Amino acid sequence: MKRSKKIQLILITAALASCSQKNKEPEWGTGNKTYVRGDSTAPYTRTHHGGGHGLVTAALWYYAFRPYGNYNNGTYTKAGYYSGAISANSNIGSNGFKGSVTRGGFGRSGYSVGG
Amino acid sequence: MERIKIQPRNNWQSAVEKLGFGFHTSDVAYWDESAYYTFSLDEITRIETATAQLWELCLGAVQHVIDEKLYAQFHIPEKFVPYIERTWNDDHPAIYGRFDLCVKDGKIKMLEFNADTPTSLYEAGIVQWFWLQDFDKSKDQFNSIHEKLIAYWKYLKIYLHPGKLHFTCLKETLEDLTNTEYMRDCAIQAGLDTKLVFIDDIGWDSTGEQFVDLENEQIKNIFKLYPWEWLAHEEFGGNILKDSNDAFWIEPAWKMILSNKAILPILWKLYPENEYLLPAYFEDNGMKDYVKKPILSREGANIEIVKHYGTVEKSEGEYGEEGFIYQQLFELPDFDENYPVIGSWIIGQETAGMGIREAKNLITDNKSRFVPHLIT
Repeated sequence: MKRSKKIQLILITAALASCSQKNKEPEWGTGNKTYVRGDSTAPYTRTHHGGGHGLVTAALWYYAFRPYGNYNNGTYTKAGYYSGAISANSNIGSNGFKGSVTRGGFGRSGYSVGG
Repeated sequence: MERIKIQPRNNWQSAVEKLGFGFHTSDVAYWDESAYYTFSLDEITRIETATAQLWELCLGAVQHVIDEKLYAQFHIPEKFVPYIERTWNDDHPAIYGRFDLCVKDGKIKMLEFNADTPTSLYEAGIVQWFWLQDFDKSKDQFNSIHEKLIAYWKYLKIYLHPGKLHFTCLKETLEDLTNTEYMRDCAIQAGLDTKLVFIDDIGWDSTGEQFVDLENEQIKNIFKLYPWEWLAHEEFGGNILKDSNDAFWIEPAWKMILSNKAILPILWKLYPENEYLLPAYFEDNGMKDYVKKPILSREGANIEIVKHYGTVEKSEGEYGEEGFIYQQLFELPDFDENYPVIGSWIIGQETAGMGIREAKNLITDNKSRFVPHLIT
């Protein structure tokens, strides 16, 4: 039944074990004022964010802000970072390539595949 | 087939979490090692035989639906029909599927086929195998899922477009992410260059008419844990049809036919009296004991079980708009009010293993539990 008794996992264990850690409860109302741009190529606008101890955790930053750039003939040029979590009004940047790319057209039909 | 009650491992939560299995418990337990199922080798061989034959029947049914243009019965958007046919005729890469089977009184019956976005792959391939290593190393399991996934990705490698193989799923579901990342793990071990992009982060570059990831790298091959019926109806869906890269979406679009419960009456019409199929129709056809299922539904939603013309169980949900099918009732076996469904996996063209989900009622829904098994 089992062809090989040796199973190796090279990716999933570490990556997903960290995802299963419970987040700390936020302490609402203790947040500091931070200046957040939806896109690192966009100018600063002032936004107030409450968060645990007034700091946005590294993990949240990781998920909130993703690098974007452009691949051309196999070479990657990083343009900046942007967040899909921030209103489209704030999520404007100066990078030209982003102009022809739209996102968010998939993913609205359900919360989980299940089944 | 027997159900044996046991004491779970003392450290079972940390043991499964070490494997990266973070969704073992939600508001109710999902991974349940307070019991396990045993099967004789003969029973397993019969499940394998049934699975292999059902796979053959399903491929024949897809060809029939395409030949006879039966898409309206599946509520498949018309604009996707040429694309579906092309993915079938050109044999676009496909990797897996899971038959849900009822095994009882020496009979094996197909309840449905999760052909497009089957889950519980990680539990079946990895978690229950490591449970067995702790519980009784001397025993075997119907489980070569991991080895076959790696082998099939190796086989598919030359059929993919040059470039990366992207993997995608919804962003905020650990279950979907685990299944997707596990699949990616196997692809990496098969030597493929992979990258994860969440489905809602996928971009459409209107200049180049191509899908791109968050770094605007072109998507040329993509494994998706996201159903075709959702892709086809969403804002970006039409772009798949004009994609200049003609990216391979895995599973391919022809799986839209097999993952739809409208395939059940088609199978019965094509192969009446087949020992693994249950009579199924697009209307109740005078049956007094049947299960009414929406052609498109997930996790046991909107299912109605009718016995002696009366409803005995009914699940809530938001499906059913596209219509229903009616399948003769073949009740799940009762093990002290635990009702197990066998999920039997096809990887590539081969049977590969199974996982068991059991519920406290006849409808296997999103509160069902995954219970490991071994071969005696």
